[in-house]
Amino acid sequence: MRADPRIEGMLREHAPQVLASLVRRYGQFDACEDAVQEALLAAALQWAEEGVPDSPQSWLVTVASRRLVDEWRSESARRRREETAAALELPGRGQPSDQDDTLTLLFLCCHPALSVPSQLALTLRAVGGLTTAEIANAFLVPEATMAQRISRAKQRIKTAGIRFDLPPEPERADRLAVVLHVLYLVFNEGYTTSSGPALHRADLTAEAIRLTRLLHQLTPAEGEVAGLLALMLLTDARRTARTNPDGSLVPLAEQRRDLWDAAQISEGVALITHTLGTTPIGPYQLQAAIAATHDEAPSAEDTDWPQILALYETLERVSPGPVVTLNRAVALAMVNGPRAGLALLGTLDTDDHMARTHRLDAVRGHLFELAGDTAAARHCYQRAARTTASVPEQRYLALRAARLG
Amino acid sequence: MKYMIMMFGDQATIVEVKSPEWIRNMHALMTKIDDELREAGELVEGHRLADPSQARTIRLRDGIPVATDGPFAESKESLAGYWIVDVSEERAIEIASRCVAGTGEPVEVREVMDAPPEHLSDL
Repeated sequence: MRADPRIEGMLREHAPQVLASLVRRYGQFDACEDAVQEALLAAALQWAEEGVPDSPQSWLVTVASRRLVDEWRSESARRRREETAAALELPGRGQPSDQDDTLTLLFLCCHPALSVPSQLALTLRAVGGLTTAEIANAFLVPEATMAQRISRAKQRIKTAGIRFDLPPEPERADRLAVVLHVLYLVFNEGYTTSSGPALHRADLTAEAIRLTRLLHQLTPAEGEVAGLLALMLLTDARRTARTNPDGSLVPLAEQRRDLWDAAQISEGVALITHTLGTTPIGPYQLQAAIAATHDEAPSAEDTDWPQILALYETLERVSPGPVVTLNRAVALAMVNGPRAGLALLGTLDTDDHMARTHRLDAVRGHLFELAGDTAAARHCYQRAARTTASVPEQRYLALRAARLG
Repeated sequence: MKYMIMMFGDQATIVEVKSPEWIRNMHALMTKIDDELREAGELVEGHRLADPSQARTIRLRDGIPVATDGPFAESKESLAGYWIVDVSEERAIEIASRCVAGTGEPVEVREVMDAPPEHLSDL
């Protein structure tokens, strides 16, 4: 639909600022959001034909405003009076910068009153400037489903009376954590090539990195924002090496490291190195430091496992959880031997959630294999293969088990 | 995550023993839940299936696939319809529980295999 990538990039860059300026002027986030989507579509068609206007942003604001006014004119007089009243209730502060507006929009789309799927969808549409069809493709659901989800999210913003304002200072840290979590989920959705069109999912990865980079520019002093951006860059750098051409998974130790994206690794390493120690430590920074340690090893054998173990120990103190313990068990096994790792995994057997996922069995199978207990390893891999809901992972685990047969 | 919510039931028995009121209520409940799932942006797709007496089963016979009348399994309870929903497991179970509470018929909830691999390759 939007064919020209240069125009597409420009539109998506301007989208949040155009929306913010409409919301400031007219209120009514939901109607403004629709009008901006229409303006983006109109721009994609018209600019491709007639060239990009001198001031793309004012062009978009003008066209979106016209759509909005047309829409209101076509509604009843009673409804129109309500809209006017709503517009008058806007906060009467001075013209804020585009930067503040984009940040406010991110906080609005990631409002805790919205469900997680709504937060993801709305962020991609209102801040990312993606169309509903593109978002639906990325999440492998019909367009009608995604349209409904977005419309519900906007309705919720309206009924909950959520205002277009930056969250007050005491709430800022918690609200920022929600924004980071949403961006992290978008990234993961894209990174983990699953069934369905891999191309669309890769687009989500790029989009998550773009939005996190934008957030990092807006909040350079926030260590966890920098940490998340570094984590994404350092993880995404290995994407090409993670799967074989036939779609099967390649474990980290067997990946061709010459396929890793060196430029992205050096950017990620520089970012996390610069950040660590200058702001309060947090889980994203620690995960980025772990990813950096992997990425900097010239070969799997050269991996600095004692360093990774130390980082997981810190991560477990800062943000404890069964998944962190699971990963620490792998690092522990690499430093003190597989039996030490297996002993630590034993502490997770009582965790209800962990016991129901395939992860525990998959890691246990790996450690049994390292310990030379092929019968136990095979049994664990088979159990993990039956529990996973991922096709490539099931294939990987089933092959792993069969190889030990 | 996506889940398939599978409604089971023996349609022949339903037609024979259930009251018109029960049938009306069951249809009303299914339509209501269907509308709600659609409206909430949770529904990926859903269908009712024709009666198993209308099924054809294809089997290999002497190395050649041959179609015969009737379902594969002579089970009293066969798949009557399904939804695929994009929700959490808790929510999928909640939807299924409403069906069971309303109809008394069993419902199975199964995850669709389009989950992402969970960092397994970072081992």
